[in-house]
This record gives sequence, C-alpha cells and structure tokens, in this order.
Amino acid sequence: MKLKNIIHLLLFSLIIISCDEEFVEEVEIVDPTAEERGEFNVPVDFVNGVYGRHTDFAYAFAYLGITEIISDNADKGSAPTDTGTDKHLLDGLTHTTSTPSIQNMWTQWYKTIGRATLSIEFTEEYYAENPDPENLESRLIGEAKFLRALNYFWLVRSFGPIPLQHVSLVERAPVEEIYSYIEQDLNDAISLLPAKSEYAPSDLGRATSGAAQALLAKVYLYQEEWQAAADAANSVITSGEYGLEDDYATLWRESTENGIESIFELQGRGEIPAHGIQQYSSTQGARGPSGWGWGFNTPTEDLVNAFDSEEDEIRKNATIVFAGETLWDGREVDPAVENPRYNEKAYSSANAGAGDGDKNIRVLRYAEILLIYAEALNELGQTATAEDFLNMVRERVELEPKTGLSQEELRQAIWKERRLELAFEHDRWFDLIRTGQAAEEMIEHGKPFQTGRHELFPIPNDQLIQTPEMEQNPGW
Amino acid sequence: MKLKLFFACIIFLVFSGLSHAQQTKTISGIITDANQVPLPGAEVKVDGKEIYDVTDFDGNFTLENVEVGDVFRVTFLGFAPQEVEVTENSNYSVVLQEDAGQLDEVVVVGYGSQSRADITGAIASVKSEDIVKQPALNAAQAVQGKVAGVNIIANDAPGSTPTVLVRGLGTAEGGRDPFYVVDGQPVQDIQNISPNDIESIEFLKGASYANIYGIRAANGVILITTKRGKGKPTFSFDTYYGIRTVQNQVEMANGSQYIDYFNEESAASGGYQLQQNQPFETDWYDELLQTGTISNNSFSVSGAGENIDYFLSYNFYDEEGILEENNYSRGTIRNNNTFHLFDDRFRIIQNLNISYTNESPKPFGSFSNAYRQSPLVPVFYPNGRFGQSYVNQTTGIVNYIGGEGESIGRLNPHGNPVSDVFFADEDINTTTLQGQITAELDLTDYLTFTTRFGATQFYYKRYAYTPTRERWLNADPRRTLEQFQQGRVDADGDGSISTEFANNSYTVRDENYFRWNIEGFLTFEKTFGKHNLDATVGISRENFGGREFLEGQAYDVFEERRFREISRRTANFFDNTVTQEFNQSTNLQSYFARAEYNFDKKYYLRAVVRRDGSSNFITGDNYFATFPAFSVGWTVTNEEFLNDSEVLNYFKIFAGWGEIGNANVPINIQQVNSGDGSRNTNYVFGPTQSLILGAAFGSPVETLEWETTQEWEVGFDYGLFDRKLTGTAAYYQRTNTNAIIQVTPLLNSAAEGNFLAQAAEVVNEGFEFLANWSDDINDDFSYNIGVNFSTNENTVQNVREAFDGQTGGSLGNGQITKRLKDGEPLFAWWMYEADGVWQTQQEIDNNPAVGNAAPGHLRYVDQNDDGVIDDRDKKYFGSYIPTYNYGVRFGVNYKNIDLSVDGYGVGGNKVYNGLKNTRLGGENVTLETFNNRWTGPGSTNSAPGADRDAIASSYYLEDGDFFRINNMTVGYTLEDISLVKRARIYFTLQNPFMFTDYSGFTPELNQNGNPKQTTGIELSAYPTTRSFLLGANLQL
Repeated sequence: MKLKNIIHLLLFSLIIISCDEEFVEEVEIVDPTAEERGEFNVPVDFVNGVYGRHTDFAYAFAYLGITEIISDNADKGSAPTDTGTDKHLLDGLTHTTSTPSIQNMWTQWYKTIGRATLSIEFTEEYYAENPDPENLESRLIGEAKFLRALNYFWLVRSFGPIPLQHVSLVERAPVEEIYSYIEQDLNDAISLLPAKSEYAPSDLGRATSGAAQALLAKVYLYQEEWQAAADAANSVITSGEYGLEDDYATLWRESTENGIESIFELQGRGEIPAHGIQQYSSTQGARGPSGWGWGFNTPTEDLVNAFDSEEDEIRKNATIVFAGETLWDGREVDPAVENPRYNEKAYSSANAGAGDGDKNIRVLRYAEILLIYAEALNELGQTATAEDFLNMVRERVELEPKTGLSQEELRQAIWKERRLELAFEHDRWFDLIRTGQAAEEMIEHGKPFQTGRHELFPIPNDQLIQTPEMEQNPGW
Repeated sequence: MKLKLFFACIIFLVFSGLSHAQQTKTISGIITDANQVPLPGAEVKVDGKEIYDVTDFDGNFTLENVEVGDVFRVTFLGFAPQEVEVTENSNYSVVLQEDAGQLDEVVVVGYGSQSRADITGAIASVKSEDIVKQPALNAAQAVQGKVAGVNIIANDAPGSTPTVLVRGLGTAEGGRDPFYVVDGQPVQDIQNISPNDIESIEFLKGASYANIYGIRAANGVILITTKRGKGKPTFSFDTYYGIRTVQNQVEMANGSQYIDYFNEESAASGGYQLQQNQPFETDWYDELLQTGTISNNSFSVSGAGENIDYFLSYNFYDEEGILEENNYSRGTIRNNNTFHLFDDRFRIIQNLNISYTNESPKPFGSFSNAYRQSPLVPVFYPNGRFGQSYVNQTTGIVNYIGGEGESIGRLNPHGNPVSDVFFADEDINTTTLQGQITAELDLTDYLTFTTRFGATQFYYKRYAYTPTRERWLNADPRRTLEQFQQGRVDADGDGSISTEFANNSYTVRDENYFRWNIEGFLTFEKTFGKHNLDATVGISRENFGGREFLEGQAYDVFEERRFREISRRTANFFDNTVTQEFNQSTNLQSYFARAEYNFDKKYYLRAVVRRDGSSNFITGDNYFATFPAFSVGWTVTNEEFLNDSEVLNYFKIFAGWGEIGNANVPINIQQVNSGDGSRNTNYVFGPTQSLILGAAFGSPVETLEWETTQEWEVGFDYGLFDRKLTGTAAYYQRTNTNAIIQVTPLLNSAAEGNFLAQAAEVVNEGFEFLANWSDDINDDFSYNIGVNFSTNENTVQNVREAFDGQTGGSLGNGQITKRLKDGEPLFAWWMYEADGVWQTQQEIDNNPAVGNAAPGHLRYVDQNDDGVIDDRDKKYFGSYIPTYNYGVRFGVNYKNIDLSVDGYGVGGNKVYNGLKNTRLGGENVTLETFNNRWTGPGSTNSAPGADRDAIASSYYLEDGDFFRINNMTVGYTLEDISLVKRARIYFTLQNPFMFTDYSGFTPELNQNGNPKQTTGIELSAYPTTRSFLLGANLQL
C-alpha cells in the first residue's frame, strides 16, 4: 500500500466520524416510557389516589398518638421499653416540636390535600379534551373536594391557623379563612356528589353528598355556629339515607361496614390481594402470650370508670378487650398479655395481626350526627328537643333516657355521651379542646396540660427549618 | 457542518505541503548511551526537511540527501534530545545523555504530550519507579500522598478500589470518580491494569488542562501511560511476597470486664445479672483474623528494533486478606507494539491488555460483629454448633441450656462473626479485554494526523451459595434437623413453603459490557523564528455505559461445589427465578481544539475548547455543551535580567481558567406513582371491597443537565540551587455552578417524594505546595527529600431557598449524622453536642434532657435554650473530608544500598466511631470504653456509663487526623554482572506506624466514597493493614 492511499483512507475515516450530530440521538433507548409500557392514567385513577392516601401507615400509628393516646381515653400501652417512637411523649403530654407523629400527620394531611388539588386540576384538563360519557367529571371533583375539606378540617383543629396550600406555603391563614375554604369545598361537594343510595354498588365507599353534609355539620359545630350545624345535621337526618345499627357491639365489625349507620369510612381489605389501613389492627392488638399485636393505644382506667359511672356495660364491652376475656368470635385473650385492656374497635377477627387488615375506620357515622344535632339544638336553647336526639343514641345501648335537664346539664350529658359513644373513634382529644374541658380533665388525669400551649400542636420543626418565616404556635 | 469544511481546508494544506527535494550527500552514524551501549529505535530527523530515520538494532542510522550545514536532531524516550550539525564528515557518533532534570520530561496532556517546561498549569506526574515502590493492586492506591491536591483514601480490603478526590469533592448527587484515560483510551477504571506496566500517571488537576476532556472532567482527569519498548531487548523479572496484619487493633474488654459492664447496664433497666463464672471465653478478633499474604510476580520483555518497539508482560497478583479465604487474584497480559513504517512517517501503535480476576469476598460485617459480640459466647458449642449469644436469664450463665421454667434469652442480637465468614460462599470472576489501535501519520514535518480505535469488553460472573439449612440450624443450637424438615412440610396446604426452609439457595450472575471509542485529530507544531505554535483539532465518538446482567436463582441445589447447577436440584418445592436487565448506554460525540503559542519560551498563551454532545440529555432542550479554557504563563528565568542568576535557575508563573463538566448525574423522570398491591395510591371500593388501583403525581420534575464546574488557578514552578530544589505552588478555586441536590419537598407542599434540582453551588478552594530537594554529593552518595502539602476548603453555597436540609450518614439504627446545609461543607456532621454526663436524676429533672435520660447517660447541649432537646439543638461539626493533607519522602542512595521512607498524613477532619455508638445493649465494648465509663455520681463527667443511649452525638465524633509512615524500603542493587544487567533485592514495610488519636481501627474510612452514606463513619470498615514484603527485580 502506498502512503498516499493510507492518507486517503485515514481522512475518509475522519470524515465519517465527523458526519453529524445525529450520532448522539442514535443510542438505543432501553427504558420504555410510561406510554410505551402501556400505562396511562385517567382522572378517576388520581381521585382514587386521594382516597388511597388515607391508607397510609400514618393512620395506623401516628394518628393513634395524636388523637387518642394523648387524651384521657387512652394510654400508650405496649411494653414499658417500647416507646412506639414517641407515643410515650404524647401520652405524657411532653411532646415537642420534633415529635415524629405530629410531623407525620401534618405531612400526611397536606400531601392528601395536594393530591386532591392536583386531581381536580387534572380532571378539569382531561375532560376539556376528552369525552365524558359516564358523566364522571362533576362527581370526581366533588369527591376530591370532600376529601380536601376533610383533611383541612383535621389540620385546622390540630394546628389552628395554617397555610392554605394553594395560597402560600409559608403564610398562615386565619382559622376563619380556613373554615370558610372548607365550607366552600363542602358546599360544592354537596351539590356535585350523589347521595349514598344513588351510587352504583361498585362505588360503595366513595364520598357522598350526605358525607359532605355531615362533615359540614361537624365543621360548624367546631365553629360553634349552632344554627348552621343544626341545619346541616338535620338535612342528614331527614335525608332518609341513614339510621342506627341495632347492635352497638357490631358497629366496628366487618358486618356493618358501609352499613346503614355509616356516613363515611376509610376502607381496608384483608383478603389477598390485601390492602388495609396498614397495621391499624395489629398496632393495637394485644401484646404478649398468644397476642396478635403491638399493644398500643390502650383504654385507660379513667375511661372504664366513665363507662361504669353510667352503668354502660354494652359500650364498655364493645369498646374494650379485657385481658383474659373471650371475644365475640371465640378468641381467648390470654390473661398474661402485656396490658390489662386493649381497643376492641380496632380488633379485626379475620386479620388480627396482619400487615394489611380488613378494618375500616369509621370517620363519620349517624350516631355522631344525632349528637351534633342535639348539641347544636341545646346551644340554641331547644333543650327538650335536643334531649330526644341524645336519647336515640342512649336507647340503643339500653341506658335510661335523659329528661328534664337544664341546658348546662344537657351540655355536660352530651359531652359525656360523645366520650362514651365515640370512644376510640379519634375525636376525644379534639372534643376536650373544643369544649374547653381539656385543662381540667387532663390535669385531673395527671397530665401536665398547659393552657395557652397544649390546645394546638406545634408546627413541626422540620417545616420551620424549611420555611423559617412561618410562625410557631403560641407556647412552642 | 462547519467542521467538515474546516477539515477540507486542512486536507488542502496537507497536500500542498507534500512536495520538494534537492540532492546532495548521504551520511550515517551510530547512537549510543553514555556507556557506549547502542540505542535501537532512536529517532533521527533533519530539521526543516523530510529526511528521517530510526536506528536499527545496533544503533545505526543513515540519512540521505543531506547538505552540509543541515542540523539533525536525535530523540529517544528517556534521554535528552541532541542536535548535530552536518559537516563534511560522513560518519557520526552521537552519545545521548539520560534525562535527569524534571523540566525536560515529557508530560502527557491528552491528545498529545508536552515538555514539562511548556506547561502552564498544575499537572502532577508520577513515574513508574514511584508507583511500583508501594505495592498495590490499583496504581491509584500506590501514589497516595505523592500528589499535592489529590486526596486518595486507601482501602486495604483485597480487590478494593481507593477513593480519589482531585481538588476536593464537588458534587452531592453526581458521579465522584475521576476520568481515567489509558494511552488515550477512555476507560471505566484502572483495576485491570498492573502497576508494573505503567510508565507514568498524570493528574490533570486544573480545569485549564482537564478541560480537553470536557463534560467528564469535573472530578479530575487521570492519564495513564503504559510502558513501551526501547533500546536493546530487556528481560525483566519482578517479584515480591509479603504478609499482612491489622495495623491498629483495638483492644476489647475481656470476659470478666464484660460481665461487670453487662451487669451495670442491665441493672439500670432492672434486668437480669450475669454470674462471674462462665463456661466460655472468646477473643473474637483472635478467632476471626489471620495473617494475610500478598504476592506479585511479573515478567516482561521489551525492546526496540528498526521497525518495531515491543513490550510484552505478564503479571500475577495474589492476595489473601486478614479474613480466612478472603482471596483476590489478578493476572494481566499486556502487549504494546509500535510499528514504524515509511521511514517512520507512519506509525501504527497497538495496545492490548487482558486481565482476569478471581475473588472470594467475605462479609466485612464480621469485623463489627467481632467488635460487638460478647466474649462469653463461644465460637462453637460442645455439640459442634456455632456459638450464639444465648443466655440463661434465670441463672445468669451464658449458654443455651436451661432447666424447667428457666428463661433463655439473648445477650444481644448480633451473630457469630466466625460463622459469618464460614458460611459466606461466593466467587466472582471477571475478564477484561482492552485494546486499541492508533495510527499516526506525519503529513508534513509540522502536521501529524492521528486516528484511534479502542474498545473494552468486560465479563463478570458471580456464584453465590447460601447453606440456608446450616445457617438455620446454627442460628440456634437447640434446633434439630427434624424441626427443619417439619418446616418443609406444607402444613396449611396453600401450596407454598417459606424459602427459609430451603436446604440452600444458589445464585449465578452474569454481567458484561462493551464500550468503544473512535477519534481522529490533527496536530500542528511549527516554529517561526522565536514564535512557537502548536495546535490540535479533533473529533471523537464514544459509546459506553451499556451493561447487561442476567441472574438466575435456585433453591435446593446440590451441596457439593462441582455439582452446583441451577437446573439440577434435589427438590422442586421452590421455583427458579431469572432476572435480566439492560442499562442504558450513552453515545457521546465530541469536538475539541487546542492552540498554544509561546514567544521564545518566555510568554505562553493557550486556549482550549471542547464541545460534547451526550445522549443522556437528549430529552432536554440542548444536549451539547461547550467547555472553554485559557491559560497563560511567563518563564521569568528566561528573561535577560535573570539569565545569570545563580540561585534562581527556573521560575515560571502561570494562571488558568476553565470550565469542565460532570455528565455522570442522575436524571429526573416525571413520575406518576402507581402500581398494584398495598400502596397508598390504591384503595378499596364496593360491597366486596375490591382493590381498585389509583395513581398520584409524584414530585415536580426539573429538567436536569450536566453539572458545570468553573475553576481558576494561579501558581508558579520553581528551581533553585542548580535545580536541586524544585517544586510548584498553586492556588485554586473551583465552583460547581449548578450542583444537583436532592430536595426534600416542603412538608406542606403537594410534592410527595424527594426530587432532584440543580439548586446549589459547591466550592472547593485550596493551596498546593510541592518541594523536592535532591542532591548528588558524589558518585557514591545521593539523597532526596520531598514534601507536598495541600489544603482544601469545601463549602456548599447559594442553595435555592428551603432546598437544602437533606440528611445522611445513617448509622442504621434510625440515627443520622450528616446534613447538607448552605454555608457548610457537603454533608457536614450534624448532631447533638455532648457535654458531660448526667450524674443524678435530680440533675436531669432540673435541666433540659432528651426523653429517657438517666444518670450515666450523656448530656446534650440545649443550643437554643428553649428548655427542650430536639433537632433544633443539633449543631454542625465540619466534615469527614480533610482540610489538609501532606506527604513526605526521604531517600538515600549509598553505593549499592538504597533506603527510603515515605509518609502521608491528613488533618482537619472528623470521623465518627459508629461501632462505639450504635449499641442496642449487651454488646462488648473496648477496653478503653470499659475503663473510662461512668460508674456512679461523681465518678466521671466525660464518658457515659454502661447504661447509655445510642443517640448520635459529638462524643463519638473524633479527630480524623493521622500521620502514617506508609513505606520504608531498603534495597541492595548489583549492576552488570555477566548476563545480568541489574539486580535488586529489597525489603519493604508498608504502613509500619500510624500516629492518630482516633479510638477505632482506622480513621481512613472510605466506604464507597458516597458523602451521604457512611463515608467517615466506622461501622464495618476493613482495617488498615501493615505489610512486610520481600522483593527482587532482575533485568537481563
């Protein structure tokens, strides 16, 4: 070969590789995109995702800490050495700004609100371009609004003035503004959503207009807007969609899930493929010999006394698992379990200690609406009518009707009724705060409640590190 | 294509230069070295003419058509070039002097090489004799402490790779490895290259030089040049053999001390007590560790003939670690040939390297288990089972035996370190084939065209066998084979059995990758009077990063090694599984150009530009990036006024600026979270509670691109006192202008998961200082002293608001130790500040304390004085990255004896003793911990008691400063004894001494180098080892 030929060859090769920049694009892509994988989502998927957020482990553990363990209804439970991360702090009212359970729920609720907002935006965008033969758009938006309102309600009663996510992530809006945003969402939901009976069976469990109405009643109750609360409660009562279960003991069992008394509940599935509210049942299951759980969130002596003072055997036995007892399904509880009492409402017969249980958390049920109605009427001066609604709740559990009480006596009776009827339904702490009983009750219960501080949870420290301009709650 | 046009012009130039000639005379001659040994393969070239020859085997050359008055130049690698004027004589005898001065050395700079005197930036070179002096598997480990500004964190585990940080750590999420180029070929790493085959390593530290490698240069560029043949045929044998032990073993508490400690700890929580008389006592480190061995044998033949230079070598490296059967061996075969054709106007250079490794890894978790396991636990029980931490809690005897009603528990949850090692049965084999062909063509005497094709094929195979049954039985000495067999019965009839009850499991993994590169460039080099101009322009294409793996797993295979096969099983209870994955490969297209000009070797000016297009970024707006660089220099000593200076022989000032990139970064992908099963996007609806799948939007996606680092440097090179004292000093500041950080979204935002954003800057700045003094007192005695020192300050700055705060350094027990914060070093230490020990309960009640505080626990400072100890009281404590490091070397030659001592040290950093901190209770402690512990009110206020918390705090954060003598060598050399050209025997002590205050095994805690993880934390680190080596070289 001549040198000249070599030169030509080399220059030719150079020209080839210098060709153009397409080489960069020629690489074979081995990771398929979502579309190539055949995955694409429609609005209902994202709305389902908002519900799905309520099956997070936070509801199985952190939630117990800041709704029940902190109150006079429940102790931390479990073994003395097992703190449950921070449950001992909540139990002792020594929680701090960096207590994980508080941060956990703060985050959980805000992320759910985020999902709801994004799903509303996506639904609107999607149906602007795509047909909607099943007429889903308004219902889906209604569902998302209901869930957003529910989470804002949980946030505002826990933390007071908080940022409205769509306005600012730093600036805390006044409580009134948050409540009016919640009311707006709920009123929209009431008009957008079908009633419980109007849903197809396969959609059982979705938010209904009745659920929005019921939550609205509770939202007004917290604001002490008695007339509005009474009106909202009354429309639930007169809707004909709901009633009381006959047997109080079955209220939290599988047989009454989404039943006549159920207004809104969080759904869990124990059969394979299981998808429960994670370990809601096993975190609260009996601990120790032949136990089935971690043994947290145990009923206090104080609660037992409260039942006993009303001679309320039915609700006591339906609410509390006693060490050594035989449960309704025949399970024998070993007398040597770690704690004397456990939460029976969390007990799942089919999936006692499972990672994913079938237990549905009852968020709103008819009995509470009756009590809201009674409380609102009493505050409006209609004490006699109010007694009737209180007695509907008492009648089921075979307690003497209350009659001829003064407004103040009835107020106290309703509050006590709420405690017993709704024990371990994640409302006690907020009832104590709402009704101003917290300081007295908690101090009597031996817990160092500080007025002006403990009414609200602290804004989580990690949030403040991220947004230092956000103000902390008083006393924290 | 503007570039095409450009090349067309070049072609024109080339052909116009290819003509002329004039006839005169023919001369011939011989080229020898100072000892009159002929030098074959030396280049002889007439200045300004196309007349050229290469000496033959006997050093002879012939030049035709020369005129009287022509000058021919003789060059030969390793020797100073020489110019000779043609006279009436026809015969010339030229004696070349060996290259002595550092300034005449040739420095490889990427797409070419330069004389050291023409460099205007910080490039460090390490030559072959310095590399082989410190025996190591990986050449980077061998040069630790020899290069200012390059922090090499060694790892002594067999087969491990050291971490190399060039001018500090500049990235949080991107790749951290420097870019390795071997003989011009980009490679993944240099694990397949024997240090014996390396001629030199160049560290392109500054951006003005590293910039020629553009988008991959931000972590520094390391150029490896392998050996080529020269001179007469030389046969060379090198061998060494050595033994290794743990250098800095920590002394643990013995049995009776453990009992005291345990009882104190247990008493605090009202637990049971251990008896004084116990059946067993074990020194776990004695049982676990052995004396390792290391050996290397290499052979090479090299030389240069008329038309060919050749180098052929074989190396075999073999190491057994300090854990039993923790082996690593590597064989490499290298063949580098250069063919000189057409009177050396056309050269074909061929490189080939084949390497194969065999490795049997052992779990390093056994080091931490040996630290933690109680000395009362036996290695074996009398029944032959491995000892476990069983204790009879009723009698307080550490044994698994108990009578009726007695309760058997465990002292701690840790395993038996000896069994960890015993049951680990894993083999990894790799083969790497790496080669390239380069063609160099002198188009004219000032223009050379180079083209190159290189490729690497890598094969990896792993066989792992887990004797599940033996592990199950040995986890509890009371378990019986019958119980195991019962586990293998499908009692609930659901058709499945837990794989816990498989007899064994067997995994085979196959991996391979292929990468290639092709490039072409033109080099122009010409002198016009006092003006010297060099230029290079070129183009390259590469494909890399694609990798395939295939893994199969089976249960219940044959136990015996030779019968193990995935498809041959003893039972069919469990299904076999196969996994296959492809990694995305990257196509890279690049253009580069460099121009260098100097006037009379005094004033230097240099500009470089590189343009890279990467397929990784084709989804972005732009996938091409352009990286410019400039540098200037002034050789002050070439000015008239300094020409005669007797003291200052050489002084050059340089400054440079450049941009470099890091393309090895993660890519954000728009995610919609969805999937089946129990996840929080799914829900349950309907009367039968059907599982309905849902979806949620993940986090916002920011388009990410490569990280761009800007650097400027300024410095000077100097030579004093007849160049006995030489060195360099430089200052640099480099800024990663768009560092990618992982952002935890605001808790109250809609964004769900962490996401990546280009939202910070990482700044590294520091001084580098290098000084070498070498003096030949007389023929018999010479010595040299070298010092290098460099500083590094690392800062994260300009973080987008609320985007920092990522935590890291998890201790594995829920405690974290690091955090990324604006104004601090990357992932600075962040934890409570320990301040004394709680003496009484009263003290705790009256002061802010963490929950569960008890007397004897550490007390933490309430930094913000709010009466509560929480995250807001955590404080920043600097970084695990040293703020300075230094190397010293001292060498003496007296007659036939040579002696050298090298040392290396770092300082200004903190390391975390995670082993000491992460106790769950019931673990053993060091003797020091035992002796210093708090035993009651007033006993001590500096160390916690036996009952302590496991919270991360500054108590466990210690100074990471150390100084280590890393090499002491004494050798004896004989030269020219009959056939033998040179023979040397030597004795080397590697890491004989280390000076440190750190209380653990080693303050050099490299781990995988990831700043977010356990780098700088001792948890299960392989200890630094000390080696004694005996070696010999023989050259024929």
